[in-house]
Amino acid sequence: MAVISLVNVRNMILKDITFEINEGEIFALVGPSGAGKTTLLQVLAGLEPYKGKIFSDEGSLDSVPPYKRRMGYLFQDLLLFPHLTVEGNLTIAMGREIKGKEQKRKKALELLEVVGIALLSKRYPDELSGGEKQRVALARALASSPGILLLDEPFSSLDFRIARYLRLEFKRLQKLLGFTALFVTHNLQEAQELADRIGVLKDGRLVQVMKPEDLWLKGDLGGESFLEQPNILYIHNQRATRNGLIEVEWAGLKFFIPDEGKPFDRVAISPGDIFISTLEPPGPQVNRFNGKIKKITETGGMALINLEVGNENIDVEITIEYLRTLNLSVGDHVCGILKLRALHGC
Amino acid sequence: MKGLHRLCFIALFLLAFLVAGVLFALIFRLSFKELLDSISSQEVLFALRLSLLTSFGAIIIALILGLPSGYLLARRSFRGKAILDTLLDVPLVMTPLVAGVGLLFLFGQTFLGRHLARVGINFIFSPWGAVLAQAFIAAPIIARSGKSAFEEVSPRYEWAAQTLGLKPFQTFFLVTLPMARQGILSGVVLAWARAIGEFGATLMVAGATRMKTETLPIAVFLNISSGELGIALSCALILIAVGFIILLILKQIGNNHRHGLPMKGIQ
Repeated sequence: MAVISLVNVRNMILKDITFEINEGEIFALVGPSGAGKTTLLQVLAGLEPYKGKIFSDEGSLDSVPPYKRRMGYLFQDLLLFPHLTVEGNLTIAMGREIKGKEQKRKKALELLEVVGIALLSKRYPDELSGGEKQRVALARALASSPGILLLDEPFSSLDFRIARYLRLEFKRLQKLLGFTALFVTHNLQEAQELADRIGVLKDGRLVQVMKPEDLWLKGDLGGESFLEQPNILYIHNQRATRNGLIEVEWAGLKFFIPDEGKPFDRVAISPGDIFISTLEPPGPQVNRFNGKIKKITETGGMALINLEVGNENIDVEITIEYLRTLNLSVGDHVCGILKLRALHGC
Repeated sequence: MKGLHRLCFIALFLLAFLVAGVLFALIFRLSFKELLDSISSQEVLFALRLSLLTSFGAIIIALILGLPSGYLLARRSFRGKAILDTLLDVPLVMTPLVAGVGLLFLFGQTFLGRHLARVGINFIFSPWGAVLAQAFIAAPIIARSGKSAFEEVSPRYEWAAQTLGLKPFQTFFLVTLPMARQGILSGVVLAWARAIGEFGATLMVAGATRMKTETLPIAVFLNISSGELGIALSCALILIAVGFIILLILKQIGNNHRHGLPMKGIQ
């Protein structure tokens, strides 16, 4: 059953957006910067003007003000109220359905328990770490008993390890509480990990809606503006083996990919799913390659390394710390491993 | 550099000497007993009470008018905003005496004045006049400081509050106002300082009638005119003490602002 339906929603940025989000579903909106992802969330929350129709399971939302829309919004910059404690940030969001200060306090502590920060209830936002603030913001959005949770790049400002951990936590919470969520991201891996369905927004238009496993099968992902644009390897030969794998040839090398039972002529792999080292790593000698570093780009705690493999190129993403440990620079030779389960035929 | 610093030091010393000289001249003009007798006199106590009542009344009116004005100017763009914004600054640069004359003409024997008098609100030559004159001076200060304070609070916090189910008034009183309270508080303290020390406009509107419209500054004026030095000095010293306390409060607000302290503590 659809919790939210949009019909021909448009404004200065969005162009005829039509889709629906089902109950208990996590829907990810991906797209390059400026595609209109945040605008779409703001339109849903009633914070931006629009034309077209938006329905919830209770009827049309078009003339409903933001405070009556029952949409929990986790803003990218969190917007925790600095003058309130963690507990105060939650109780302020509890409407009349929870009566009495004590009841509100109890409910706030329950929610903080669920997100694992009950001990921090008396602290102020400026006394919390980035990850803790994120949890408070999530708990606060849930405190208002929303019909749907809107999340704007919820993990983008965090260190990648904390972000990965919180993604798992988010998934656990969603299973536990069963909330419906729409989140926007420009991190394809994040979308694939969390979402039940993924929508691609490009120049204000919803160009595709797909399942996460089809993410790499669709070529039109909005160009190079994504943080984690997957490597698309154009393969030459393919041969089915007896053990559920397909042997393919790329850059003069032989690799194995899982047999997903679909025809393909390309193979996609995220840069974060490729392991590199300066020494030959131990373990089975499959899906290995040698490459030469052509370019290193450092962004937000991560390094994107462009490798030359035979006559081909491939991008690898590693942490800055690991880059420093390996002491890598342009022109160095590295050994690489393509993670078997991260390879998808498309 | 040494020569320059020496000259600056002399200037600083002269300035400090002048300020301290004025204070000492006022404080040590009377003996302690004479001062105590004057302070406990009926007239001084009346002036103190009237000053406190009128200034608090003026601040309440100034808050009611100034805060919404400041909020609107901070949040909305509309035709004629720049003119209105500038107009609100006029009382800040206007000579209080002239402001008083304007108020006298507006609320005196005019259509507005006569109608207000008919419903029992008579500003002219009454203590209400003192409240009006002080509110006229204080409200733009509160509007100005309120505008700056509200501008410092991102409207996105109001968005967040609304998505959490808070209605616009709840959002204002539970989120925006507490977050802007530092700047507003500074404005209120400054406005109160101006209101309690207000003389020119009060003189014009409320007049200077002993034991009727006699605020502290009016008491100083009346008693200096009639040679009652004790009462005049007592009132002056009370005003100086009030000024000193206000400066201390402002400094404390400034310190807390730097350390981010008063943002917290509202539940």
